[in-house]
Amino acid sequence: MESLSNVDVSDEEEEITADIVLKTLQTAWQNECLAPEILPHNNDMVECMLGQIQHMERNINKLPKTDIRASIHKMELSRIKFIICNYLRTRLNKIEKYCISILNDERQRMETGTNYLTVGEFKYAQEYLLNMETHLKNVVLDKMPGNMKTLEMNKMAVYPNLQTHVFLKANSTISGVVLEDLVGDQDEEIDLEEGSQHILQYKPIADLVKNGKVQLV
Amino acid sequence: MDPYEIEFIGENRIVSVIPNFSYDKIYLICGEFGPFRAGLPLNVPLWLAIMLKQKQKCRVVPPDWMDVEALENIKEEEKRSRFFTKMPNEHYMVEAKLILGVAAEDVPNAAEIKTIIKDIWDIRMSKLRTSMDALMKSGGSYGRLDHLTMMEINSVKPLLPSAMDELYRIKMMTKHRTPTANLNSSTISQSGSSQNI
Amino acid sequence: MFAEKVIELLKESERNPDTIDPFKDEKIRQILEEMQTLFIMNMNDANATTENKSLWTTVQVRHSALERNKRCLLAYLYSRMEKIKTLRWEFGSVLPPDVRELLSDDEYEWFSRYSTNLASYMRSLGQDIGYSGIDLTENLRPPKALYMEVVCTTDYGKLELSDGDVVMLRRNSRHFLPAAECQTLVRQGVLKQIV
Repeated sequence: MESLSNVDVSDEEEEITADIVLKTLQTAWQNECLAPEILPHNNDMVECMLGQIQHMERNINKLPKTDIRASIHKMELSRIKFIICNYLRTRLNKIEKYCISILNDERQRMETGTNYLTVGEFKYAQEYLLNMETHLKNVVLDKMPGNMKTLEMNKMAVYPNLQTHVFLKANSTISGVVLEDLVGDQDEEIDLEEGSQHILQYKPIADLVKNGKVQLV
Repeated sequence: MDPYEIEFIGENRIVSVIPNFSYDKIYLICGEFGPFRAGLPLNVPLWLAIMLKQKQKCRVVPPDWMDVEALENIKEEEKRSRFFTKMPNEHYMVEAKLILGVAAEDVPNAAEIKTIIKDIWDIRMSKLRTSMDALMKSGGSYGRLDHLTMMEINSVKPLLPSAMDELYRIKMMTKHRTPTANLNSSTISQSGSSQNI
Repeated sequence: MFAEKVIELLKESERNPDTIDPFKDEKIRQILEEMQTLFIMNMNDANATTENKSLWTTVQVRHSALERNKRCLLAYLYSRMEKIKTLRWEFGSVLPPDVRELLSDDEYEWFSRYSTNLASYMRSLGQDIGYSGIDLTENLRPPKALYMEVVCTTDYGKLELSDGDVVMLRRNSRHFLPAAECQTLVRQGVLKQIV
């Protein structure tokens, strides 16, 4: 079977190997599972990997069924599919749960071109909210008296808990992470040395997760 | 994440196997492996090693650390130190569980090794409980946990983060309570405070 | 007591958090009726509050009861939607008749829309390269083995595998099947894994 190690993922002729794409996806999956809020999408990587899977599946079909290499490739593919499916499903769960707040944030992010959702996810979120609204209206709201009919989006909105505590590992040394001190109003600054592990609130390190300086564990 | 997912991540670790068949290099998405030469060791991901072993296509070469003497040293060190010592690798428990589960015959003194690893795990778990207790008593908003492996960290979820979240919530309530605390008289136009339904 | 019925409604549905009960049409109708009554009473009294200050409290209490009814009704529907969603992931887009019966017509409509939305999202994955092998309702657990041994619990009929092979699933028949392709049937209870 031919080598698949070189793959193009962007238009800028930037070469990236398939194993790097896979590692990136695995990290993205892990972070997405462990972060309370939705993280910026990795659509390039997902699409690139789907292309790899497609290519590989075609090649496997050329191998005799009993060939052990066919089983090895199939096993690897089912591992990769698990990561992709679990990753995308985790995102969908968050999109459904925090639908109203995610859509509000996303509309602002779209203005600056820093969107977190893929086109498909954004459409999914909009449609999901619309369906929910329609259902609530049809079943009870429209049958309520006077001003009770309105659906108050701000009261329906569910927000992720950004103050929740998470475990992380620092990928590089980061100095001056500020931890809020509630009792003494004496905020504390800590340094995260490369390779060190910590448990702390998500909010002060949210950006570090998004730019890859730390990894949730 | 559940323990199966941690195990899944650990299965990417590279281990050495001795195949009983010969094949050219295999080009996987996660990298190239081989060529496979009967009787000669080569490196493969743990999941592949397990798969080949189950098909009786290889012997697993036990990792260096999977050795009675080496493990006894680790155990002593772990007992002596107040802190968590560095484990042979990030997924020692997954490696041990899978290799000793599927390929125990390939590991000399497998039973003994199993016991020592279990001891090490227990020592570390009891240390972890003590440090969680200390962390919560000290106010519980931040902790450093070097050298804990993913499986170990996962074993205190969701207990530790939830306890810390709860403590934070209580602190917030104490902080926001004004000296003349009284109940808000409810009005017709309720404020738009967010509420989860 | 105001808003008593709606609390009953929520308590009943809380009792079985993992299963879905039949939709409570009648109770919901009664709650909406209570809301109408409270609302009309408040409308009638609202104008009089300028002369009669003591009425103001009554109006406020009724208003709170209205808000409570509304919030709890929405919570009831919302928690049912959550349960209906899991049906889509478990059973796929076609519900078994005994499950379908538990949903109201509106809920079934919502289920279909949810299902369609999910399907079109899944279709969009890999669309650019013409790849359609990603089904998010599969691959739920980390793969351990490619094949698994299963026993069939009912006379299910034919199952076509992705490699073109067809297996006949009869009650108590045993099979060695690709793990990725029988997960849905295992979840639905048609197949049972032999360990």
